[in-house]
Amino acid sequence: MRSVIETDVCIIGSGISAAMVAERLAHSGTARDIVVLEAGDDVPPLANRYALRERALAYGENPWPNDHLDGYDVDGPLQSRSMCVGGLAMHWGGVTPRFSPEDFHVRSLFGVGHDWPISYDDLEPHYQEAEEILGVAGEQGPGAMDPRAKPFPMPPLPLTYNLGLLKQWVEKAGIAMWSQPSAKNSVPYGGRAPCCRNDTCSPICPIGAKYSPDFTWNALRQARKVRLETRTLVRQLVLERGRSRVSHALAVARDRPRDTLEIHAKQFVVAGGYVWSAHLLLLSAQPGAPNGLANRSGLVGKYLTGHRNVQAIIALPIRLYPGINEQHSLVTKQFMRVTPADTGGRYVRHDLRVWESAAGRGARLTSDTGALLLGDAILRDWRERTKTGVARVRAYYDVIPDRASELTLDASRRNAWGDPLPKLSFRDDPASAELRPFTEERIRGLFSTMARAGAGTVVRTNVDEFQDHPAGGCRMGDDPATSVVDRYGRTHDHENLWVVGAPTSVSGGCANATLTFCALALRSAARML
Amino acid sequence: MSISRRAFLAWAAGAVPVAAVVRRAHALSVAELSAEGAPSQTLLALGDVVLPSELGAEGTSRAVDAFRRWMVGYREHAELTHGYGTSRIRYSGPTPVTRWMSQLDALDAAARQRYGTPFASLDVARREQLVRAALAGARMDRMPAVGEADHVAVALVAHFFASPVATDLCYGVAIGRESCRPLAASGELVLLKHS
Repeated sequence: MRSVIETDVCIIGSGISAAMVAERLAHSGTARDIVVLEAGDDVPPLANRYALRERALAYGENPWPNDHLDGYDVDGPLQSRSMCVGGLAMHWGGVTPRFSPEDFHVRSLFGVGHDWPISYDDLEPHYQEAEEILGVAGEQGPGAMDPRAKPFPMPPLPLTYNLGLLKQWVEKAGIAMWSQPSAKNSVPYGGRAPCCRNDTCSPICPIGAKYSPDFTWNALRQARKVRLETRTLVRQLVLERGRSRVSHALAVARDRPRDTLEIHAKQFVVAGGYVWSAHLLLLSAQPGAPNGLANRSGLVGKYLTGHRNVQAIIALPIRLYPGINEQHSLVTKQFMRVTPADTGGRYVRHDLRVWESAAGRGARLTSDTGALLLGDAILRDWRERTKTGVARVRAYYDVIPDRASELTLDASRRNAWGDPLPKLSFRDDPASAELRPFTEERIRGLFSTMARAGAGTVVRTNVDEFQDHPAGGCRMGDDPATSVVDRYGRTHDHENLWVVGAPTSVSGGCANATLTFCALALRSAARML
Repeated sequence: MSISRRAFLAWAAGAVPVAAVVRRAHALSVAELSAEGAPSQTLLALGDVVLPSELGAEGTSRAVDAFRRWMVGYREHAELTHGYGTSRIRYSGPTPVTRWMSQLDALDAAARQRYGTPFASLDVARREQLVRAALAGARMDRMPAVGEADHVAVALVAHFFASPVATDLCYGVAIGRESCRPLAASGELVLLKHS
């Protein structure tokens, strides 16, 4: 059976970028029908989340059961299997730094990578808008490091006892740090409770103090502003015959797999994150677009971005009490806001965060001599080893994306409907690969300086090969030959087709990127009006 | 017709370990743990050996009860929290409870054989000897996750020492890991009476 839905706007995906677009369009004052298509299921209501958290804490069970589609085992470093209402932002830590102005002009400033077609100033109002929708609690950093036009919507999450001590320590190393901005309520906000620091922000906040997109969807659905179709997998976007406009989305309702669902709309918004957006465009190859939609440049799926981290555990001669709030941190932009003169003419930019930690300081079963410890002996040993504390420090550094960091269709793996799954691979741009040893050595040197300033020692350092906060695959630009979408997220090739959020990123910056994805999506939505 | 856990396990030893058999063994173990029989007494007596004496009888009983509830609540093949950077979905493994119950039986049997009395009736020093003998040769290089503990004694230790109660006991401060508190309170420390 064939079913047809007619609407003004069809949003594909229901993650955090989709929620931003829907929120902006729904409250624009112009009546329009919005249909949102989500391949996964709805998520458990807030009332169930305490019990789900208990199972997660006790047994490591996923607090978002069935938040994925079976059979989607992807080749390559997929960030998460999440495919549900709210997407990956149901799991996120709620950390919301902005990029710094330099992130948008690394080619012009440092001679490496690629400039964005927009500046920090272009995005600033949308950063603010995103912070107000999400509800961000933040502390204004020093003006020169942390530019913003208006105050944060909420006062910062206060520093814990531990972070207060750690702040004093990093100041001895000449580093100004402050409370990490977070999409967690420090006061009642948006009808949700303030944070109570029960420290399971990721994977689940049981009280709704942390923003997640389901709150936006529930409000929009309740107000009948959107129609959200769950368990509806879009398999292809179909062009109007002989034209470049998108006619309809072809979908399958997972509960009626033999039926065909067509969604006809005036505007189509692909909001499937860095994987499923490019994947859908590539799956949509057809006459008139033999390499997939929006792919005249051949760049759909290319230039995936991210940042790598160097992390260390530093032992300090101060008594800390880990467990008060291990997920909240100090942050600085001191090393993001550098010039080539600051770094010996080379491109090294990174953020820096500091957390309380219990790494290496947990109870143990054997002594240093290998003797089995039981009962009182375990406790004695544990107390002895926790007389002083440790801090976790981490720096995300910018990895310049290469064209070969890519998502392609994997003919060897197919979903239940026969569509090839995506295949992911990441590679540093040659300039970035050449800089890597220098960058990581410089960060290790910083960690050593910090340790010495506190009369401490670096216990261990490690580099995570995974490029975190992945994005890109439909990068923005002014030149249709070198980009997929324009500076607002509209595809160069199809006037009624938009890609929003993470996939449009030109580079991964050197800080958690979700707020930037939200700001980009809101900027796109403003243009759609 | 009801059947005891031991009788069922004796029968099941010759059977193919299909899911239904495993589930039945787990259910019988859980039922026995919830009763006041020998395994429950052995488990409590084990707590005196492997948990800190500062807990006292009441605290030890609470810690053992919490571990018992963990065992009762264990679910096989439950979807686990997603790994980061991978598309692999993981599920919880087979129940460890059946194996741990057999180990409680073995501790009790060893006590009866060596001292002619149940494990729960021995003094703590003798109980500890038996526990150490049971753990001899086992891998002890790290504190395992509870469900991955090879032996029930290690599982009880792992369960308690991963708890917020244990953290507070170690630090002598009401850190209150994973519990709700007013935001402003997280800047202060609350010393515990015994510290």
